[in-house]
Amino acid sequence: MMGYAGPRDLMEIDLTTRTWRRSALGDDVFADALGGVGLAVRLIDERVRGPLDPLSPENPIVFAAGPFASTPVPAANKHALATISPLTGLLNEGLSSSHFSAVLRRCGLAALVIRGAAEHWTTIAIDGDEVRFEDASALQGQSARETTKSLRDAYGDRSLRVCAIGAAGERGVRYAAVENDGRQAGRGGTGAVFGAKRLKAVALRGRGEVGIADPKRTASIAATLKARALGPKTAKYRVLGTSANLRVLQRMGQLPTRNFTAAQFEGAENVTPERARESKATYVELRAGCAGCPVQCEHLYVRKDRDRRSAAASEYESVWAFGPNCGVDDLDAVLDAIGRCDELGLDTISTGSAIAFAMECAEHGLVRSDAFGPKLRFGNGAVLIPAIDAIGARRGLGDVLADGVRAAARQIGGGAERFAMHCKGLELPGYEPRALPTYALGLATCTRGACHNRSATYDKDLRDPSDDRSDAARAQDAIEAEDRAVAWDSLVLCKFIRDCFEDFDTEAAALWSAVSGVQLDGAGLRAAAQRTWERKRAINARLGWTRDDDTLPERLFAEAIADGPNAGRRVEPGRLASLRDAYEGLRAAAGTALPVG
Amino acid sequence: MNVELFGMARALAGVSHVVLALDEPVELHDFLRSLAEAVPALVPDVIAASLDAFVEPNLLLLDGCRAPRAGETFVDADRPCVLFLASGG
Repeated sequence: MMGYAGPRDLMEIDLTTRTWRRSALGDDVFADALGGVGLAVRLIDERVRGPLDPLSPENPIVFAAGPFASTPVPAANKHALATISPLTGLLNEGLSSSHFSAVLRRCGLAALVIRGAAEHWTTIAIDGDEVRFEDASALQGQSARETTKSLRDAYGDRSLRVCAIGAAGERGVRYAAVENDGRQAGRGGTGAVFGAKRLKAVALRGRGEVGIADPKRTASIAATLKARALGPKTAKYRVLGTSANLRVLQRMGQLPTRNFTAAQFEGAENVTPERARESKATYVELRAGCAGCPVQCEHLYVRKDRDRRSAAASEYESVWAFGPNCGVDDLDAVLDAIGRCDELGLDTISTGSAIAFAMECAEHGLVRSDAFGPKLRFGNGAVLIPAIDAIGARRGLGDVLADGVRAAARQIGGGAERFAMHCKGLELPGYEPRALPTYALGLATCTRGACHNRSATYDKDLRDPSDDRSDAARAQDAIEAEDRAVAWDSLVLCKFIRDCFEDFDTEAAALWSAVSGVQLDGAGLRAAAQRTWERKRAINARLGWTRDDDTLPERLFAEAIADGPNAGRRVEPGRLASLRDAYEGLRAAAGTALPVG
Repeated sequence: MNVELFGMARALAGVSHVVLALDEPVELHDFLRSLAEAVPALVPDVIAASLDAFVEPNLLLLDGCRAPRAGETFVDADRPCVLFLASGG
């Protein structure tokens, strides 16, 4: 049997002792965990064996390269970034992408683990086989983009690849992001873990060859995938971008509005970036995307009378978070808010959700409505930037919101918990769960908290909306969606090409075998995904998770949807409990040794 | 029958609604043929060249919230919408 053909080294760096060591991972590791999230979760599982403070030096940060990065496979220059989240206290495995992911492998690395904490602000510079610890004090306060430019200037190398945090990560905002190449590992606060370690940036330079077991077969499969990725199945992303979701979700009555108090937003048409695209006299549209991706899904907009460098990415979740969820119908205010989050290094979903939460608290007299200057109320776009700046600086009410809505509600008191829209501490994304029972189950059981990219089962709910589907059928759908997401995230392929596979398990396993040289079939891929999911659950159990944590925000049980085609629907508490029982039963029947809490 | 268009369907048609002249009630198969005839630009990116199915991720939802079952008929009052399943970003 051929051994694993790709880069196989694990580099472990200790910031406290400023030491590092490099070792080779065995074939068994790749056969077991594949790469990306699978490998990152395995490495966390080996290192986190009990409760820990996510902001302590003991918390590891793991980068694990996607096993197709720096190969001809399209939409696959990606890497996983895992740690214990300071927002949830549980496992957080995010993804980022582009050149940094590719160069990680060109440094000969399958994974990089960082532990400890530096005495002063530090940049870790990895140059092929060498590691240096550079003083980063001069980079303090810089955005990730500015940090990248500073480091490239210092090294005199425009090809240097950098991931970095902004001021929010330095100040320990618990939903601070990590950015590389304009892409973010946004959710769960990995940027705050960087900050706690006084790690400003990781800079990579690597020009090694990346081995491919069967280059001819790989090129053939990659060419087929690329052709499909340039076809109608990704047209929505290429032509319109993810923000096209906004009009669709509005029509479906699935657009969470004003902190989930409504499901349709009367100002939706004003704030949809599709309108900016159609208003060519007013806005300039710019395009971007990850290295090696034919889709180039990112659509940025800026008013024609403004500097193009201020163009903001119009991803659906970001637009939703500051638009409908804050009741703001001013597209320019929304785009400015997204741009400011990127400058400070903040997750847009959690930041927008924290501001929406504060707006509702202000309406009920629980916080001062002048806390950020302009009135803190739904619909006031003028308060977004002052609120974001206060969060990024941990100033005043911003300091309270910087810990996330779960912790903020506890601190504010007075019943603020009923306005805190989160699962396990991670703020909800922009889909209305009350009309989507299977999706609601997936949000509740997701090991990461309320993440739409780990359990996206709304497809099944929409295609078969009847109430006569059994709990077992819905639970099976949720499990398959979770395991399928693990497979995507371990390989790591962009989910935006999900419709480009005719039989994902078989085709993806064949691609893995051709690239890696480690033979795998569809059943083997599913088994690997299930192993990784079980590790995620086991890690969380060691960190204190119990089954009671697999629930939804109180509002989704207590308040029915007030408007639109789904008016009157809410999550029945008994129904969620029944679905969870069915879910746990099926997981156990599949052989999962589950800690039940 | 008034049909609301979203996403790629709207971008290709250049309009937010189209009106189809067909006998109601209608099944999906006849609906697709009528829609393709009214807006040829939807073929093959939104409606398959065979005219018997939508190209994923496009689909028909009645009143934006439920897909018709196999063989189910629908009418104008069901408010048909051509859209796509939202995801990610």
